[in-house]
Amino acid sequence: MKRIVISLLSVLVLGLSMLTTAAAQSKGVVYYLVPTLLDEFQSGSVSALQMFLKQTGYEMKTLNADNKTDAQQSQMNDIIALKPAAIILAAVDFNALKPSIEAARAAGIPVVEFDRQITSTPSDFTSVAGTIEIGHVAADQAEAMLKAKHGDVKGKVLQVLGDPGDPYTLDIQKGFEEKMKAFPGVTIVSVPALMWEASNAGTIVSDQMLANPDIDLIFPHAAHLSVAAVASLESAGKKPGDIMMMSSNGAPVGLDLIRKGWLNTEVEQPLYAQAAAVAMFMDKIVGKQEIKAGDYDVLGLKGVVTIEAWGPNIKIPGAAITSDNVDDPAFWGNMKPPTAAVKSVE
Amino acid sequence: MTPHTRKSLEFLLDNLVWFMLIVVLALFSALIPNYFQIGIFTNIIEASSVLGVMSIGLALVIITGHMDLSVESVAALSAMAVGILFCSAGIGLGIKLSPEWLMIPASLLVACAIGGLIGLFNGFLVVKLKMSAFIITLASFIWVRGIVLAVSGGRSAQDLDPAIRWFAIERFAGIPLSAWIAIGCFLIFSIMMAKTPFGRHLIMIGGNETAAYRAGIRVTRNLIIAFVMAGAIAGLAGWLLAVRTSGATANLGVGLLFNAFAAVVIGGVSLKGGVGALPGVYAGVLLLSSINTAINLMGLPANYTQVIHGFLVLAAVLLDTFKQRLRQRLA
Repeated sequence: MKRIVISLLSVLVLGLSMLTTAAAQSKGVVYYLVPTLLDEFQSGSVSALQMFLKQTGYEMKTLNADNKTDAQQSQMNDIIALKPAAIILAAVDFNALKPSIEAARAAGIPVVEFDRQITSTPSDFTSVAGTIEIGHVAADQAEAMLKAKHGDVKGKVLQVLGDPGDPYTLDIQKGFEEKMKAFPGVTIVSVPALMWEASNAGTIVSDQMLANPDIDLIFPHAAHLSVAAVASLESAGKKPGDIMMMSSNGAPVGLDLIRKGWLNTEVEQPLYAQAAAVAMFMDKIVGKQEIKAGDYDVLGLKGVVTIEAWGPNIKIPGAAITSDNVDDPAFWGNMKPPTAAVKSVE
Repeated sequence: MTPHTRKSLEFLLDNLVWFMLIVVLALFSALIPNYFQIGIFTNIIEASSVLGVMSIGLALVIITGHMDLSVESVAALSAMAVGILFCSAGIGLGIKLSPEWLMIPASLLVACAIGGLIGLFNGFLVVKLKMSAFIITLASFIWVRGIVLAVSGGRSAQDLDPAIRWFAIERFAGIPLSAWIAIGCFLIFSIMMAKTPFGRHLIMIGGNETAAYRAGIRVTRNLIIAFVMAGAIAGLAGWLLAVRTSGATANLGVGLLFNAFAAVVIGGVSLKGGVGALPGVYAGVLLLSSINTAINLMGLPANYTQVIHGFLVLAAVLLDTFKQRLRQRLA
């Protein structure tokens, strides 16, 4: 009996020592405040950030705000009390989190903005694809598609927004419409799918195809909305290619729709690169070292760091995915995370 | 007031929501370009199929004097289960059965069984353990949506098997079969509520539970059955949702609960229980769907859509309240 107890105690001590060693190897705990886990980009961002931060020596914990600003504010307050190495914030509301960011930084905790840029107060680092820029890339694609169809940039575009309370979709709309202004022959009909709910997008497409049968191009602001839009088109007897379609964020379902011929283009948010950039600069962020402006190679993509009024900002442009490049493993929608480990910027 | 006038007025009040629907459709047809066409009316019926079915289950429980806040999440979980099992892309496992038509009863069984089990759980806690239906079903609303998220990992299931998708694509008399399922449900459950002892017992329980018990009605059993039916019907709504969108996403059906409540109230079901009929609820669902379609077609700035939606629902409910007062004066 004594031997068994001693053996069990030895195993326990060994286990504890291993845990202690593992903890000692970690450079610290980083909290990621994700706005929601109800879409594929956000749930993908959790695993991508976790993987890259682990490669650079950090342990990551995630808190989900369920798209509630007040919940995210409370999470920020709680985390400040825990004094983590850093906080990565993908804000539910771009402005409402300003006081919480300021409180965290006043407590000496660096704050990194991920995917959603906050310009109203300084942060220690920002990694974005640029939502307005996604709108610009989408506008370029729309321009090319309409020109190919009509010989000139003209026609009718149905823009299916996400929830009208989400600045993410409003920024894409802003970017898209400000670039499309150059083409007065293009009519844009914009309708929001409340709460980013897919069946709402399906209903919008069904209704608009009857009210505006001359629609040339449908642009839902997320791939999962495109799935419902396609289901409505299919129910209306349409076939792949009858109506041009594009969407944004590059989720796996969007890539599948490209392969099936329903979607012409998907404007990708470079999820892996955005997450890798955070991990690459985490040592400098935690050590409060200077981050220099310039071009950086982030998983083979060109990331440009600029020093803005709100702090160092890396912008990695979104790419247009078409049937020509849809199988490129670099797109996060193909769910093939990069095999090469990222390294901290010296 | 002559008996004839009184009878006419009562008929008007009994069917006020249908008259409201006709007036609203006429107004929208006159004022909104492209609204007046068969295709749009078909869309209204088709778009109301999921909400309609969900509202039936909710109405059953509300008529008994309770409530079920979990129906939206139950529908989402059923849709996700059907999506995971019978979709071939995303997180779908792409299960095939031979012959193909077997996938229809199998997917229906999965969806309704999930809903029925959650309904049984809710019913047991509310009826047997005398816990608050509001709290229990609110908890279910949260934990069931959590399960949707956990089993999907935030990802989508896409490309529902064509054998099941058939219901959204094939039409009879210009209306998709999925909408006929909703219409069929309203017919069956309306008859059940009006013509069967079980339906009448549910209304009596909602009116006065103690009196119903003293009259020999098996209150506990009937109430638990009502919760199970509400869950199973919500499961059927989830199945329709998956059929309609050709799969499932983690946020599928978000916001349906509030629309279902609005439809039930507009349809003349009293939140206090004991009053209400399902044809009125269907009219309420069609009314909401007509309003949604109008908003879709008006091309309003995105920021104002919810405000308008809210006010239109409020107007419909205020009219319903006016109806109730008028009825009291007539009595």
